[in-house]
Amino acid sequence: MKNKLKIQRAIHDLTQDDLAKRISVSRQTINTVESGKYIPSTALALKMAKTFGISVEELFQLEEGD
Amino acid sequence: MKKLPLLPHIYQRVGFLLFIPFLLLSISYAGWDYEIPWLSYSKPSQQLIDFNNHNFTDELALAGLIVSLLLISFSKEKIEDEAIQFFRLASLQWAVLVNYLILILCVMLVYGSGFLSVILYNMFTVLVIFIVRFRFVLYQHNKSNP
Repeated sequence: MKNKLKIQRAIHDLTQDDLAKRISVSRQTINTVESGKYIPSTALALKMAKTFGISVEELFQLEEGD
Repeated sequence: MKKLPLLPHIYQRVGFLLFIPFLLLSISYAGWDYEIPWLSYSKPSQQLIDFNNHNFTDELALAGLIVSLLLISFSKEKIEDEAIQFFRLASLQWAVLVNYLILILCVMLVYGSGFLSVILYNMFTVLVIFIVRFRFVLYQHNKSNP
């Protein structure tokens, strides 16, 4: 699964730590999601998308093989 | 992800604190037959073989070890988010698998009364392997995200 978390963070000028605090997870978790090592739950994906004011599909996209 | 029912983080420390004395008690019982005097139970018996005299040191040591390992295993981390819960479940699956692979190996290689020791250790190994694996995964998780 691809994600545009890093880009959206840059657009909204948020650090990993800022985003982590807003959605009540650890900073390491944001990092593992960004690097594609961990796929977040629907609830967490929705929270992330809501923070950036976009839809989940804009933030996460399926890749071939998913 | 739905939250797993876990104890508050403080119980992890309680678990570690209890683990040390119970481990020492178990080792001294197994190695030197140490028994706590006030844990003796005796009932007068007329029989030749007396089942009524028993010291409960080993029961206390075993139960204490298991409880302390359970406390360590099933207490929340400082920040218990869904990624940590995923690692927790993955580590538990890994531990159960490795535990049974070791057990199969022991079934093949250890015979007679020696196998009793295998069964005894096997009571704890799944929890011990889980704790070690989970700590290792968390260490790597934190290390890769400085």
